[in-house]
Amino acid sequence: MDESELQALKRRTNIVIFIILALFGILVVRLWFLQILRGSQYLKMSENNRIRLQWLPAPRGNILDRNGRPLIVNRPYFNVTWNKEDAPDPELIIRKMAAILKVNVSEILKRIREAADYPRHLPILLKEDIDWPTLVYIENHQYELPGIHIETLPSRKYNFGNLASHLVGYLGRINEKELKKFGDSYLPSDQIGKMGIERIYEKLLRGEKGRRYVEVDVHGFEQREIMEQAPLPGKDLKLTIDIDLQQTAERALRGKAGAVVMMEVNSGKLLVLASSPPLQLQEFIGGISSKNWKAMLNDPLKPFINKTIQGQYPPGSTYKIVTALTGLSEGAITPDTIFNCAGSMLLYGRRYHCWKRSGHGAVNLKKALRESCDIYFYHVGLKVGVNNLAKYAISLGLGHKTGINMPNEKPGLVPTKSWKRRRYKQEWQEGETMSVALGQGFNLVTPLQICEMTAALANGGTRYRPQFVESIIDADGKIVKPFRPIIDGHAMGSKHSLALIRAGLVAAVNEKHGTGRIARMKSIIVGGKTGTAQVVRLAQYRHLPAKDIPYKYRDHAWFTCFAPAGKPQIAITVLVEHGRHGGSEAAPIAKALLEQYFNGKAAKPPTDK
Amino acid sequence: MFQFDRRLILNFDWILLLTVLAVIGMGLVNLYSATTNGYTSSHIFIKQIYFYIIGLGLVITIISVDYRVLISWNYVFYGVIVLLLIMAKFFGNSAGGAQRWINLGLFKLQPSEPAKLAMVICLASYYYRKDTGKGFSLRELIAPGLLVGIPFVLILKQPDLGTALMIAMIAVSMTLFVKLRWSTLIIIITACIIIAPLGWKFALKPYQQQRIETFLHPEGDPLTTGYHIMQSKIAVGSGQAFGKGFLKGSQAHLDFLPEHHTDFAFSVWAEEFGFAGSVFFLACYTFMLLLGLNIALSARDKFGVLLAFGIVALIFWQAFINLAMILGLLPVVGMPLPLFSYGGSSLLTNLAGIGILLNIRMRRFMVKTT
Repeated sequence: MDESELQALKRRTNIVIFIILALFGILVVRLWFLQILRGSQYLKMSENNRIRLQWLPAPRGNILDRNGRPLIVNRPYFNVTWNKEDAPDPELIIRKMAAILKVNVSEILKRIREAADYPRHLPILLKEDIDWPTLVYIENHQYELPGIHIETLPSRKYNFGNLASHLVGYLGRINEKELKKFGDSYLPSDQIGKMGIERIYEKLLRGEKGRRYVEVDVHGFEQREIMEQAPLPGKDLKLTIDIDLQQTAERALRGKAGAVVMMEVNSGKLLVLASSPPLQLQEFIGGISSKNWKAMLNDPLKPFINKTIQGQYPPGSTYKIVTALTGLSEGAITPDTIFNCAGSMLLYGRRYHCWKRSGHGAVNLKKALRESCDIYFYHVGLKVGVNNLAKYAISLGLGHKTGINMPNEKPGLVPTKSWKRRRYKQEWQEGETMSVALGQGFNLVTPLQICEMTAALANGGTRYRPQFVESIIDADGKIVKPFRPIIDGHAMGSKHSLALIRAGLVAAVNEKHGTGRIARMKSIIVGGKTGTAQVVRLAQYRHLPAKDIPYKYRDHAWFTCFAPAGKPQIAITVLVEHGRHGGSEAAPIAKALLEQYFNGKAAKPPTDK
Repeated sequence: MFQFDRRLILNFDWILLLTVLAVIGMGLVNLYSATTNGYTSSHIFIKQIYFYIIGLGLVITIISVDYRVLISWNYVFYGVIVLLLIMAKFFGNSAGGAQRWINLGLFKLQPSEPAKLAMVICLASYYYRKDTGKGFSLRELIAPGLLVGIPFVLILKQPDLGTALMIAMIAVSMTLFVKLRWSTLIIIITACIIIAPLGWKFALKPYQQQRIETFLHPEGDPLTTGYHIMQSKIAVGSGQAFGKGFLKGSQAHLDFLPEHHTDFAFSVWAEEFGFAGSVFFLACYTFMLLLGLNIALSARDKFGVLLAFGIVALIFWQAFINLAMILGLLPVVGMPLPLFSYGGSSLLTNLAGIGILLNIRMRRFMVKTT
């Protein structure tokens, strides 16, 4: 060990002592500067120093009809919130607020308990949608109510009541599951689209919240704004729906259960998408009461079912379009093939009736469609078989979802032999083919599917996807996303076959003995097909006059049509549940829409195409 | 190995022990305030007490073994530490984007903390073996450079800039202490000036760059990084001469102060006990460090001097950087205040260091000067 080296190290240790003292000396000087010289200044800052984040709600996008008329807009909606951190005496505030809001203390306590899991700095929602006098009172007494804030939220105003209620849907308080799913961009007090367009287009409609950082003093009062980031308003949605036509359809359906679909045949744009009875949209603002909810659930007319896409019904005679197309395309019939209708026919020892017990006599294709002769289509059905019928039905859009941008659409059902084996473990019976050919068997369709099929028939076989959004418009009025038609497929069979069927449907509306004569118009030539879908096949009610049959056993009434016959523009499908006869119940509704569409619009040239 | 000798007791540095206990006591008082919300005592506080008990056991274990065994065991320590650092990198728990912890079941070990002490031991024994009479040349620095370089890079990659810098500062301090040649010193300083801008550009993560930029212009960003510095300064400043009183610091209790039981623990102290309390604390702390240097001065062998100096350097640099950061004199880096901030790994490491200091002092009579 080198003693001199050790001594050198120890000498350097003294330098180190000096360095330590010097550096800690700097810290003491700094402390003296901060605490003594600037102390009172920092004390003031610490008292004022409470930075709060405020969220600025983004105005939700409006929903407009095809002509730009506002269907749903925003109205401000005032909520009372409470920042617990800013309240020196919580109990006093709770008692005061219960009196001001005219609610029980227990109700406020319940809200506070519910909010216990949320981060502490988030305000607690005490009451939604307070009225004007309450708002004014709170604003005027701000200084006695530390921590209490008024939150202005955009809410929905329904300009046309419950119009298109199933389509537009409604908003509701976000629930825990949704909160977990969507994470940071929502607050527990936020509204979120729960159904229909409000839900489907939630992301576009809601925009983006702004934030504002403010400094508040010890009592929670705002001192100074530090930073503001403006909210990004939601986008407007322009629908293809026409408010006037939709209103006509819903008025016609009032008090009934049913659906109306009206579509542009060359684009798939929906002009009307009506389901009756409607949802009571106003009820959902601020949360629906369980009493009203139950009432809607128990309503025998089932308002919660969107019958345009979720109602599955036997197609009845509207299905004869499919049977006719199959017969022509498969070579089973020509337009001139004649079957004799004697009112009934015998097959495998069972008698099958035509709706007209006296019989139609000699029937060709046109007459069969015009007068909806059952015997004729029994023969066609037997000739082509159920699997061929299914092939054409599927190509016309039946038996699978249309692909409309709405959740929970039902696919309907197109039966085949293999389907029956799978489903019932039984072989197909020839008699069942006859029922299917008339739309009375296992087949199930939705009104939207029948409308799409009618549109394809009218436009020469192209199946456009039904759509209800014309364009998406941003806050500056710029179109972000225009409408684009989507072709989903083509009907099998020749254009000539489709033309022959159209001629039969035109005859049904315009000629003597036609089943759809009620829909006949003076100025425009309409083609249409009625349908009566049996609910029960039991004969026990058959002989009774219509009004004596219990409601739930009455047949469903169909009518589907297109116009003008020469160059079709639109297709309309009407279904009235338990409406008995398509010709008398459903066709007038279609006619009212036709009148309005063509007479109201006759002067104006079509806007596109 | 251990034979009882009365001189061991006679030479025990009771004053150092008491000073350390005073610092620790203030740390506990402060931790109670920083983690309590007035209703419940927090589990963090309880946990820290357990760490003190474990630490006490560690100190007793360390003083019962002659510190000179470390001369031959140093590379074993070094190897274990490097291994732990690699494990933390690949199997560690990550928090805030950094891989720093190894879960040991009972508690999560942060191997970069004992790495600092291992560095001190390793360098002390390395320099002990070398003749440093004329000072080191650049070539002679390659070996210790590599020794420091491995853990430095491993910690930098976690990423934990504060601890990596600390390793570097300990190494530089100890190397300067054993003496460099003037020429070597000049070359190194020149090289650092050239490398610094490159290091800024390539070695620092964007958030680290931002912290330094924010330090230079804190008002530019009052909400994120600058927020910490601002809030800490407000906390300290608002303490004024005598403080707001125990448990009454609004900055800490209203959560304006970030990390107020770890890195910013001293802000809470300064807010609640003011200038008087802060200076008292600093006085105790300085006294503790000077007692440590006194042990270096009284050691009879070069290893003891180097080891004692290294431990003092370790505690001093951490403390100084932490306090300077809290007072707004240095940018924000993650750096606890030794023996004061919450944190098991840091506490045990620093207590082990104190244990070694006591050990050197106890055994100074055993070393024969030549």
